[in-house]
Amino acid sequence: MEMLKAIAIGLPLTVLVTILALMIGTVVALPIVAGLRSRNRLIWLMSRGLVDLLRGIPPVVWLFILYYGISIGAVRLSALQAGVLGLGVVAAAYLAEIFRGAISAVPKGQWEASSALGFHRATVWTRIVGPQTARAAIPAYTTFAIGLLKDSSIASTIGVSEIVFMSSQYARQSGSGILVFFVAAGIYILLSVPLGLLSRHLDIKMRKAVAR
Amino acid sequence: MNNLVDVAIEYGPTLLGGLKVSLTLTILSLALGLPIGLLFSFGVTAKNKAFRYISVFFVEVGRGAPALVLLQLMYYGLPNANITLSSMASACLALTWTTAAYSAELIRGGMQSVPSGEIEGSHALGMSYRDCLRFVVIPQGLRIALPSLMGFAVLLFQATSLAYSVAVPELMSQAYSIGSSTFQYLPVFIVAGLLYAAISIPATWLSVGAERLLSRHL
Amino acid sequence: MEQLMIELNPQTTQPVVQVKNLAKAYGSNVVLRDVSLSVAEGSVTAMIGPSGAGKSTVLRCMNLLEQPDSGEIVIDGHCINAGKKTSPKSLAALRRSAGMVFQHFNLFPHMTVLRNVSLPQERVLGCSREQANEKSMELLKRMGLADKADQYPSRCSGGQQQRIAIARALALGPRVMLFDEPTSALDPEVGVEVLEVMKELASTGMTMVVVTHEMAFAENVADELVVMADGGIIEKGHPGQILKDPQHERTRRFLRAVLER
Repeated sequence: MEMLKAIAIGLPLTVLVTILALMIGTVVALPIVAGLRSRNRLIWLMSRGLVDLLRGIPPVVWLFILYYGISIGAVRLSALQAGVLGLGVVAAAYLAEIFRGAISAVPKGQWEASSALGFHRATVWTRIVGPQTARAAIPAYTTFAIGLLKDSSIASTIGVSEIVFMSSQYARQSGSGILVFFVAAGIYILLSVPLGLLSRHLDIKMRKAVAR
Repeated sequence: MNNLVDVAIEYGPTLLGGLKVSLTLTILSLALGLPIGLLFSFGVTAKNKAFRYISVFFVEVGRGAPALVLLQLMYYGLPNANITLSSMASACLALTWTTAAYSAELIRGGMQSVPSGEIEGSHALGMSYRDCLRFVVIPQGLRIALPSLMGFAVLLFQATSLAYSVAVPELMSQAYSIGSSTFQYLPVFIVAGLLYAAISIPATWLSVGAERLLSRHL
Repeated sequence: MEQLMIELNPQTTQPVVQVKNLAKAYGSNVVLRDVSLSVAEGSVTAMIGPSGAGKSTVLRCMNLLEQPDSGEIVIDGHCINAGKKTSPKSLAALRRSAGMVFQHFNLFPHMTVLRNVSLPQERVLGCSREQANEKSMELLKRMGLADKADQYPSRCSGGQQQRIAIARALALGPRVMLFDEPTSALDPEVGVEVLEVMKELASTGMTMVVVTHEMAFAENVADELVVMADGGIIEKGHPGQILKDPQHERTRRFLRAVLER
């Protein structure tokens, strides 16, 4: 019980890091997707390179670069800032790929029909392609969010006192390592269950709204 | 920029030595984890209860828990049960678990997407269940799963960077010790990052290429 | 010649396929009610009827791709009773006696054409690879596809794929060939080459059961016509007779719909 309490102190930070990184990732992903869809070779190449680089380097390296490597004058990023920012930009790259895939999954005929009906470009995005994209992206998006929840544990390496940080601290104090880490694993699994359920719920709702 | 080149030249050999350890760890975990993953892919739907429960346990915990937790469990946790492994062995065990869990799901997904008509075809020809698995379902299932397994291998290679937390002398751990002794954190981590990227990015392209190549008969 | 024999002594020729009182339902949705059918050696039986009539289900029950709720199936002396548990051995024997051709071919996409035809011979009949390949090449030649042996199925047209599927089924030496709408997934022009092969097969005395929408094939090639509707057989007999003078109102309605478009 004492153990559970000690570990659970890390829970709010785990959730906070996950949510903030997801928000940063989602927002930053949008201009990157635009870049990946651009017909301008240079813009496309830069976006492609950015995505490949962000995904090609392990998140822990990004976190270390931000935390240990970056200082603006005498000001350094706090562990939490570095953690959220690092995980956020890496998430942006993965989410950009997910969104790009979802957009290209919208059948070409939808664009053609929209043009034939004389829809405005904005209308096509908000009413036709957008909803179908969101529908197609939801499963991958929630899978990614669950992955991000687990990756938030990487922030413990720069000292963000989330679940894994608290667990290893407690393990060191109490000397009951096996149980502590199984409990930590259990908490992550329990946390991902509601996310999975939410995904299923959204999926069903969207399926009704956007049949096929 | 000059700084970066200096660091790369001076500490290049040490960092490359670390990269070798990272790659060794990746390959060992794949070599051990993939066969177990294939076994689990059958286990999670097996009729035998013991086999099924064990498979489901390892798959769900392996996928549900962060790799960092599994690493620490093996290195700091197992000694409580009087099993003390070297840092490399415990990291290998943890990442093998991750590999087996993820690949089990990827392989199962691949086998499920073999069209039911082909399975029906093999039944109509009088082929046995075992032959149907051996000649139709498993080869095609693995083929379908291969690109995503390659994608997973890239993620696994990146996950080896977390093994620095259990004192495996891999790339990240080398970079960190150079950084903390010279305070040249930024250039060292950038060089280390580029080394990771130099493997991951081409490997990702390879998995995309594999997807195109393997779907040519479908 | 074989035709002649059957007509001379119809009693003594044991039917190759016998289906007795077949019934099947999915919950409250009855798909087959009391279907009985017998197919004489060397004859061609065509099954027609509106979609949803249960034609394909009867065919798929014959080699137990679908499990009937009740009834009995006898193919070439191998008897399967829906009420009793079927041993894997008798199931294998039954399926070996019945070759099946599907609407969507169901070739194995990861194997060459030759492997597609040879593998079942090796695994089911226990042939050596040489024996199997020899037989396969012979059949592919007969289908006019010898040059496709080393290609993958996806490189072949639909008509070619369906002929490969026929070769694959024939390679196991079946006593009866079951065709489940073999031309429905094909362009009419391509369907002709498949129908030609089937006609040739019929002329060699192969026993065939064909679920089809090709009325010309039913009229010209079949010896027996079975009309199904709503899960039951409503009429059977000589094709010319039925097409000229259908007895049942449902048959008339169906024929009008097919022939008048």
